[in-house]
Amino acid sequence: MSAMSELSSLTRRKGRVTAEEKKANGRDNKAAYIFLLPWLVGLVAITIGPMLMSLYLSFTDYNLLQPPEWTGLDNFARMLTDARLHNSLGVTFTYVFIGVPVQLAVALLIALVLDKGLRGLPFYRSVFYLPSLLGGSVAVAILWKQIFGTTGLVNQVLAMFGVQGPGWISDPSTALGSIILLHVWTFGAPMIIFLAGLRQIPVMYYEAAKVDGATTLQQFWRITLPMLSPIIFFNLVLQIIGSFQSFTQAFIVSGGNGGPSDSTMFFTLYLYQKGFGQFDMGYASAMAWVLLVIIGVFTAINFIASKYWVFYDD
Amino acid sequence: MPLFSRSKSEPKAQTSSDGGPRRLRKTGVVAAAAAVVIGLSACGGGAAPQSADGVVELRFSWWGGDKRAQLTQEAIAAFEAENPKIKIKPEYGDWSGYWDKLATQVAANDAPDIIQMDEKFLTEYSSRGALLDLSKYDVDTSKLDKAALDAGKSEDGLTGIAAGINAATILANPAVFEAAGVPLPDDATWTWEDFERIAAEVTEKSPAGTYGAAAYGTDEASLGVWLRQNGKSLYTSDGKLGFEPKDIAEWWAFLKQMSENKAVPSASEVIEAEAAPLDQSGLATGKNGMAFWWSNQAPALEKASGGDLKILRFPTKTGSSADAQLWYKASQFWSASSRTKHPEEVAKFINFLANDVKAGEALLADRGVYPNSEVRAAIESKLTPADVKVVKFISEIEDELGEAPALPPKGAGAIQEIVKRYTSEVLFERLSTDEAGKKARDEMAAAIGS
Repeated sequence: MSAMSELSSLTRRKGRVTAEEKKANGRDNKAAYIFLLPWLVGLVAITIGPMLMSLYLSFTDYNLLQPPEWTGLDNFARMLTDARLHNSLGVTFTYVFIGVPVQLAVALLIALVLDKGLRGLPFYRSVFYLPSLLGGSVAVAILWKQIFGTTGLVNQVLAMFGVQGPGWISDPSTALGSIILLHVWTFGAPMIIFLAGLRQIPVMYYEAAKVDGATTLQQFWRITLPMLSPIIFFNLVLQIIGSFQSFTQAFIVSGGNGGPSDSTMFFTLYLYQKGFGQFDMGYASAMAWVLLVIIGVFTAINFIASKYWVFYDD
Repeated sequence: MPLFSRSKSEPKAQTSSDGGPRRLRKTGVVAAAAAVVIGLSACGGGAAPQSADGVVELRFSWWGGDKRAQLTQEAIAAFEAENPKIKIKPEYGDWSGYWDKLATQVAANDAPDIIQMDEKFLTEYSSRGALLDLSKYDVDTSKLDKAALDAGKSEDGLTGIAAGINAATILANPAVFEAAGVPLPDDATWTWEDFERIAAEVTEKSPAGTYGAAAYGTDEASLGVWLRQNGKSLYTSDGKLGFEPKDIAEWWAFLKQMSENKAVPSASEVIEAEAAPLDQSGLATGKNGMAFWWSNQAPALEKASGGDLKILRFPTKTGSSADAQLWYKASQFWSASSRTKHPEEVAKFINFLANDVKAGEALLADRGVYPNSEVRAAIESKLTPADVKVVKFISEIEDELGEAPALPPKGAGAIQEIVKRYTSEVLFERLSTDEAGKKARDEMAAAIGS
């Protein structure tokens, strides 16, 4: 897109746009669209098409085996009385509103430490980033299961201190906490972004503050945080959107059933179960659209709220 | 092709003044053509696989482990040797992913031609017209066990041919009993109280982490037995639930009592055991003295445990195995997609699996005892000692069987998950057994739409 506008602005700079040039521009655009075509086909066939289809299905009763039947708002009405769905919303909100802030705080903390100019920084950066690459994977979720099992690593360490730990992921009161911890552990991606952000803050601010006798803590509150707020905002938006949709970890750790006792039944997991386990694809599609609206609302709130706390330097 | 040759045949049209845009346009056309071609080829996956030489390719999907895959491939090879015009393409995987995949394939009009089906999902698929009525094709059912054959029949026709006969059993690991110094129970006379007492004794005399028995409550089979022994049933013949909340509450109350007495593992351990595959189950790893399994799983478990296992009848309320109320279950079915392009060939293959001795010699007893009496007799000498044990058990209990249970209705695929979930609610004391009974029954009724 930017290349296109640059091209056309180049022509414009030469003076009045002649009819021939206009025609050439149109041709350029056409060529661009033709080059875009493979991607466009993908977008329509793989993203927009299925989305519209699911919008249609959300107003139907569709069991995958027979053609969908139009039922209007029935699916959405059913959601109002579905106790398991309400529970899954509770689980998802808990995950997002605890997991995201804690993860970002950890990411920022580690980024601040690394930014102090540690020897071997590239090595540490890679080490801390590694969980982000692995965290969503099936293998790590399985490993997590082993570490937090009744006879897993955590309980073996606790046993050394004479503490009998619970079955972290098999006990309904701690299972969600274990998955949130797994999420927090994957702080690498926001950490890298924070690190880049920290490097952007001009040193002169800190020098001036030091001359005025500001403490390290004051420097952090008065310079680092405000200057970093656009980056924090960016991370927050990304992580909230991502966390609402997280699926793999809960799916693997709970063995696909959101257990024990629905304590790790994420909204997405319940959606999957409804659609593919119980042949209720109409309902699952309606759930997907509800999730889209929820994410949209929270992203909008985020952007509105950002006016009051995000500071742009320029 | 014309597009390309045209652009080559008109090089003179490119004058210097308008060469740029012209070339661009042509490249664009080529790009567009390429895009269309890519798009077309992406849509071309669903065509019927039939090559010019008349060879028909059929897709055959099943769930199961490595051992089953190996045996099934041998049966396929035997069939292909006799029928060079039919090629069978296997697709297999784990139980848990199998049903999600099948549902998606059927929805996408891409179902495998031959489908290994479970009783829980048979009505689900057949009542929605996804399965072929095999009675209309050439499949010989005259030699098949009648009860097993009837299990595949419904108002939608004969949509499944039983692949094997099964019974619900308790498998005991004698090594665990021996280490604890507890004699194995007498399964002809034991009661549920005996089961609890013996299991608790084994736990007490075993090292920490080993329990006398695994917990029931992770599927509906043991619930079915319990209900039948109490004069109830899981389902009725008109597709409803055959029990009241208090019946299932009693079942959970007994489980809770056993968990408190340490006859079975703690709540957390029960949940963890649920997720373990067969070869890492408590019975296979020597952590359980007894566990609830289907009879056809005994050989695989024996192999995993590396020792001898003993097949036991369920305990009863009365202390007489005549009241055990077990039944012959069709372990799984051979079904066919109603949208298959080659129903004749599909029927031929299913007929081979069900009735041909060569298929029996390959498959042996992996999917349960052969429902075809002739094949069963013909392969007797080839069975492994573990298989023989299963066959013997199945024939021993024949006189003690209860009435055949009603087939699971549409929606029955969701029942196991509900049972599991409320079992954990009860064991973690988040719900009383009465509350769990009521809620679970309501949810099950909703799932099967009654």
